[in-house]
Amino acid sequence: MQAALAPFHEAHVLGRGYEVADILSSFPPPNNPGRLYDFHRASNERQIEGDVRYALKYSKVSHISAKESIAWTEIIVDYWHVVTKILSAEEATNKRQLGDRQWVEVYEAWRNLTQLVSRHISNGVLPPWGIWTLLRMANHLRLLAVRADEQLAKARPMNLNPVLQDDIAGTVTSNQKLEEAARVFNRIFSLCLGDRNPNPGDSRKWAVYCVANLQFRTYFKLKAISLSKNVVKSIGAQGDLPPFSRYPLGHQVTYKYYTGVLSFLQEDYPKAEEYLQEAWAKCRQDALRNQERILTYLIPCRLLTRHAVPTATLLSSYPNLKQLFGPLISCIKSGNLAGFDEALLSGEQEFVKRRVFLTLERSRDIALRNLLRKVYLAEGWEDLKEGQTETDRIRKSRIPISHFATAIRIAGNGQAVEDDEVECLLANMIYKQQMKGYIARERGMVVLNKKGAFPNTGV
Amino acid sequence: MTLPTTVAMSRAMQQPAYTAVTPRTTLMRPAAAPAVRLPKPFRLMFSVLRHNAAAPAAKPTKVVWSDPVRDYVGRAFDPEFAIEGISHQDTQEKLKSVIGYYASMAMQDEIDWATYPLPQQIIAQERNAAQASSPSLDGFSSLHQPNGFTNPASASKKRKSTDVAGFQDHAAHAPIPPWRHTNLQDRVTLATKHNDKRQKKHLGETVSKLEELELEKRKQRFQLETVDRTTPPPDDDSHSDMLSGPIVGTNQKLEKSFFRLTAPPDPATVRPQDVLERTLAHLTKKWKAEKNYNHICMQFKSLRQDLTVQHIKNAFTVRVYERHARIALEKGDLGEYNQCQTQLKELYEQNLGGNPVEFTAYRILYFVYTCNKTDMNDLLAELTPTDKSQEWIKHALAVRSALTLGNYHKFFKLYLVAKNMGGYLMDMFIERERLYALANFSHAYMSVALRFLTDELAFESDDACREFLESHGVAQYIVEDSVDDQLELRVKVKEARRVFEQLRAAAFSIVDIKGQI
Repeated sequence: MQAALAPFHEAHVLGRGYEVADILSSFPPPNNPGRLYDFHRASNERQIEGDVRYALKYSKVSHISAKESIAWTEIIVDYWHVVTKILSAEEATNKRQLGDRQWVEVYEAWRNLTQLVSRHISNGVLPPWGIWTLLRMANHLRLLAVRADEQLAKARPMNLNPVLQDDIAGTVTSNQKLEEAARVFNRIFSLCLGDRNPNPGDSRKWAVYCVANLQFRTYFKLKAISLSKNVVKSIGAQGDLPPFSRYPLGHQVTYKYYTGVLSFLQEDYPKAEEYLQEAWAKCRQDALRNQERILTYLIPCRLLTRHAVPTATLLSSYPNLKQLFGPLISCIKSGNLAGFDEALLSGEQEFVKRRVFLTLERSRDIALRNLLRKVYLAEGWEDLKEGQTETDRIRKSRIPISHFATAIRIAGNGQAVEDDEVECLLANMIYKQQMKGYIARERGMVVLNKKGAFPNTGV
Repeated sequence: MTLPTTVAMSRAMQQPAYTAVTPRTTLMRPAAAPAVRLPKPFRLMFSVLRHNAAAPAAKPTKVVWSDPVRDYVGRAFDPEFAIEGISHQDTQEKLKSVIGYYASMAMQDEIDWATYPLPQQIIAQERNAAQASSPSLDGFSSLHQPNGFTNPASASKKRKSTDVAGFQDHAAHAPIPPWRHTNLQDRVTLATKHNDKRQKKHLGETVSKLEELELEKRKQRFQLETVDRTTPPPDDDSHSDMLSGPIVGTNQKLEKSFFRLTAPPDPATVRPQDVLERTLAHLTKKWKAEKNYNHICMQFKSLRQDLTVQHIKNAFTVRVYERHARIALEKGDLGEYNQCQTQLKELYEQNLGGNPVEFTAYRILYFVYTCNKTDMNDLLAELTPTDKSQEWIKHALAVRSALTLGNYHKFFKLYLVAKNMGGYLMDMFIERERLYALANFSHAYMSVALRFLTDELAFESDDACREFLESHGVAQYIVEDSVDDQLELRVKVKEARRVFEQLRAAAFSIVDIKGQI
């Protein structure tokens, strides 16, 4: 056990919370697949406690106080027991002899371990960097909870507990354990947010955004996205956090990404654009996967807020996005309504999965605007009146509704569109200020502004 | 559930069935508890009782009257419970002897006073027994039998106020014990037609038989329970009930008032599925005939509760929820509808039959109404291509997309062809969308013909359209004008732009449905 805990002592002396967490990990590192097994072999059920206590007490490297030593002993002994469970669950999985609740038990044991660490941190027994150990363990808890839920879903399609319920369904969820884990995360979040350590360098407040991101991730998975709002609210209400820009960049980017997506889902597109743009700007150059994620929401967002389509150069750097948005974007540009509908339909499944469908659908307006603008350009120029010169020449501003109707029918590739419907679409364009002017229904004309008939498009 | 409790429930919802009393432990210092100051005769009563109680025990110890006793005494003198032909004096005498009896044995705290018959009831029963010349049925002494009225587990304060009420309805069926009644019609009317006046008027004539019946019925009920629960204390027993899985009901009544469960249900109060199936048929018929939504809704809720406690999850369950959902839609009770919808979603996932397509369409329309983009997205994610090819769902999806794209022309046409309950659902947001369209018009047009609005916004007639506009305070913008030498009503939409914008903003800000998570 002395040898097995040597890395622990090293990490402890250097105060590296993540490294300690890697030693207390629920799965072995890729370069040492037998690590958990070795650790398990280093002791046995009877001697583990004495071994660990001895190893901590007589370490030559680190000098741990008696109180802290007791805490770590408790943690490591508990960890050893969980490892026993993990190993037997894996073995059973490989042999296909998995017990009904084996992974659930692993999850529960890991949850207790996480709560144990959390408790010691809360009591101030562990050094300040212990919070990073806890966070890493919490992330493992999330993964184990997902696994436990998978097993539960397979083992038992329904539970028998709704006795005091007025309705049949409702209490039974397929994500029972992850929901429970979410509550654990919530407590860790308060533990960090409410830390009163007077020394700012040691404050657990530095972990706030990291926990928040873990919570977001969990809530998104649980389809309980609205719960994320509480996290954002609590952070907003906490006035004494260190400046956001001083947090690790990774925390910043992830946090902005999630808050951006949250605003996006709440249809607050200007805010969403702001947050996503910030995440985009701070995201590492080589983190293509993350950039792609940010753009998945930033592109639809900017379609709506600025009627701006992404450039071909941008899309070409992200093959996935090009495949996803490419067809739609080219139809928007050309005002091809039928093509747009088709692209939207064929991509619907992917769009819905990423929750951008309902937003993208609205960009049909831009395709329509581009089409109507083409009609306007094709109408040509007014004749010059007496005394006017070539510089006074203006475009024709009175355009028959029927011209627009024809264009819409052509672009709609044969879809039946009634005259009144065309008028309705035009009215909608005017209402949304994509087109300036008014409809003179009795004369069957659209009277466009002489200047800026289609704002922000150069005509 | 046996009859009187049901009645008690329906009554309890109208008014609290008991007087709130602040808890106190001793009667000796009345000044310490000023919350309830008893009228003089009551105070006298207590002093007498104290006296009586202390005397036979021959001990100088103070007898402490607990709140249930005080409550019991209070009720004994409450005019509400007075029985014709029994004087105040008699009641007082009886009360003294009852309480004194228990106090002499120091048992006054073991009696469940909330369900213990009031003195006047005991008197009535005794008199009745004397009349029937059956000396064996001495009401008072029979009460002291071990399985008498002292079971605390099943006692409920709410029950007491209506014990009397239950009697009369069974007067006509005196020879048949009430728990064997199969004539359902009279039970059905009981819960709804019950009222105090009628009860008092008839009580004088029927009370004797009723008392007898009631007594026997209670005995029966408690005997049943004592058989069930011999060894373990009632609390532990009920706990193990909960863990041991679904119960099977034995109640045979068609209707039952709805009450939220606060304890594990008693099988005697729960109706088995065959009864529930008749209940559903009965409620459907009743709904069509009477259209009394509040009553029907509560009945459906108790029906759903009975299904739940018995873990009945089958095609019938689906039918119940579908029926309730439709009725709720018809009355625009979206809170209740939403509950049913949530349940139905899970039931459909288990392939129990029903009309998943129809209700999926309703869900889409519902999310259109609530503007819930997140839920809508989740719903779209679940739809299969087969779903999307169904007529119902196609319509709902078309409604959704028309609104997203601001194509109100299409939207109002779809409104006119909505099927079944879809129309009711669309009614929920049709006004909102009309206001949206009007705001839209007010930007795109200077003025439009009233007829144009009637057609585009799917009003039944020009008058209906005009009424709508006038009720929204834009009457002054409706003018008569001549176009092509013909007079027509026109609406100056541009001038009314500010009003329409305000109306639109207001209409979209108030989607708040109770019962929605």
